[in-house]
Amino acid sequence: MEEAIGAMNFWTILGNIFTLPLLLATLRLSTPIALIALGETYSERSGIINVGVEGTALLGALVSSLVAYFTGSAWIALLAAVITGGLAGGLHALWCVRFRANHVVSGIAINILVGGLALFITSAVWGWRGTSPSSPPLNTWYIVGAMFVLVFLSQVFIFHTRWGLRLRVVGEKPEAADTAGINVHRTRYIYTILNGMLCGLAGAFFFNNVTRFTSGMVGGRGFIGIAAMVVGNYSPVGALGAALLFGFIDALQMRLQTYIPSQVSIMLPYLITVLVLAFLIKRAQVPAGLGKHYVKQ
Amino acid sequence: MRSVLQALKQSSFLQETGITLLSILLAFGVGCLILWAAGYSIPAVFINLWKGAFGNKIAIGNTLTKATPIILTSLSFLIAFRCGLFNIGAEGQMYIGAIITAVVGAHLHLPAILHSIVALFAGGLAGAFWGWIPGYLKAKRGVNEFVTTMMLSYVAIGLTDYLVAPRGPLHDAQAYANQTSAVLATARFARILKPTQLSWAIVVAGIAVLLVWYFLFRTPSGYELRCVGQSPTAAEYGGIRTKRKLILALSLAGLLAGLAGAGEILGTHFRFVDGFSPGYGWDGIAGGLIARAHPVGTVFSALLIGALRAGALQVQRSHAAPGDIATVLQALVIFFIIAPTLVRRLIRWRRRSVQ
Repeated sequence: MEEAIGAMNFWTILGNIFTLPLLLATLRLSTPIALIALGETYSERSGIINVGVEGTALLGALVSSLVAYFTGSAWIALLAAVITGGLAGGLHALWCVRFRANHVVSGIAINILVGGLALFITSAVWGWRGTSPSSPPLNTWYIVGAMFVLVFLSQVFIFHTRWGLRLRVVGEKPEAADTAGINVHRTRYIYTILNGMLCGLAGAFFFNNVTRFTSGMVGGRGFIGIAAMVVGNYSPVGALGAALLFGFIDALQMRLQTYIPSQVSIMLPYLITVLVLAFLIKRAQVPAGLGKHYVKQ
Repeated sequence: MRSVLQALKQSSFLQETGITLLSILLAFGVGCLILWAAGYSIPAVFINLWKGAFGNKIAIGNTLTKATPIILTSLSFLIAFRCGLFNIGAEGQMYIGAIITAVVGAHLHLPAILHSIVALFAGGLAGAFWGWIPGYLKAKRGVNEFVTTMMLSYVAIGLTDYLVAPRGPLHDAQAYANQTSAVLATARFARILKPTQLSWAIVVAGIAVLLVWYFLFRTPSGYELRCVGQSPTAAEYGGIRTKRKLILALSLAGLLAGLAGAGEILGTHFRFVDGFSPGYGWDGIAGGLIARAHPVGTVFSALLIGALRAGALQVQRSHAAPGDIATVLQALVIFFIIAPTLVRRLIRWRRRSVQ
């Protein structure tokens, strides 16, 4: 008898969790992860590792909140976030290509810098450490739609156009690309900047999703984006698939908070990411020139 | 100027030190630009930064107290870095070490000094386990360690938060805050410079510096670990079991971060308090890099970061500027330090203009 009640409760709970809103939340929460994963796919295909995506997305969110606050236009805020993201990508590319810095370290420096700037700027502008006031948001479904379009266009671009072929050659065999007359350094700049712009867009999503900035709002989703790119095996559609999985866990986690302690459910996405990386992937096809500096002969 | 530069050129140690110091100066220069752009008084910020970090006995004690865990997390970052790995999860390893230390310190009954040592090592081992997981995944499954160490950090912070929250199994029933019950007097480290919180934990950190230096540069295992960092394929070809070294490096990294957490509990807080670390784990990344991945260098880099942290509090208190400018300065130092070609180019440009 008790078991039957337990079972019924179980199914009722399951019915309460798996609903249409869960599906919609999955689509929304997957969006920033997919955008970051797509950006990382571009830059790593060109040979540049960028772990600064976490900070770049936070920067996008910060700039969104600042510009939305001062102009009142969420669209201008979105544009500003994308441009600033591109600048952060450019900074990373400058350090990796021109100054031959270690890619991972440069990315970490970006994360620390933006983490500090976010607290500094919010304190300086609004006097609240780490939060902004609320501003009129944009309908986030625009960004969700844009994400799907960008992913499918990128899939075609990378694998079925000659520009995509050039990108792949630069990451795989920079010497060969150079011999064939492709400018390796310029290619790496372009796609790392593109990565930054996509992260900026992801940041704009984070801001518009809750209409205000908080310094913990990206909360490791940049790193989850990198994980999604690895699981997606360096293809845009693959990255989207993995991002949908991680977005689903994120959406599920929020609904589980009714039933399990919130501290436990909050750590679920991070735990699942580790498990997925550990058990779901075969050895990924890492571009051969990834993370290496190319010195023109 | 020219002769100084020539002398610098002849010694790689001096050159490295020179570039590091110059990087710090450049970073402070850019920091001034940011402060100026935000409309703050630059002298007021730096006077307060100095006052808070070195102004009097208490300030120096605060700086050293903050430098203590940062020395250990810097060592944690650099020992993995020397093996070609990125441990960016020291924060989580600290939390795991800290909570185990707090439990052992509060619930085990042992004679005075032995109790501290047991609690300290329990924390270290717990941290080592948290570092071993990404090490194992890296060696056996080729999983990116910078993603897993980061993810496991979030897991550790969430897990410990759950354990000490009301209704959590380790919650101190007498307290409203999310914390464990107090560590027994037998396990506590003595305070060195009262009324500041500086404790014997700094001696633990100092010993760790020497041990890590000895391990890396005077033992075969340390040599092999560095070989793997230099070139994994060459190391494998030379007969080094690289996978074991990867696991060892991340476990040791976890151990050192765990000790940092343990020291904070036994010397500073006397209990596990949720959010006890203001980010010492992340500071270790900057500390390890500013030290140029040399164990002895971490003493200086941790002092710099500890001073920035202590000074930042004073900057905040005096309303000269938001104290978070210290984090920005830290990041800027990293940017200049990792781009030696940039700094060298600036030196060369300077020399040309002198001539």
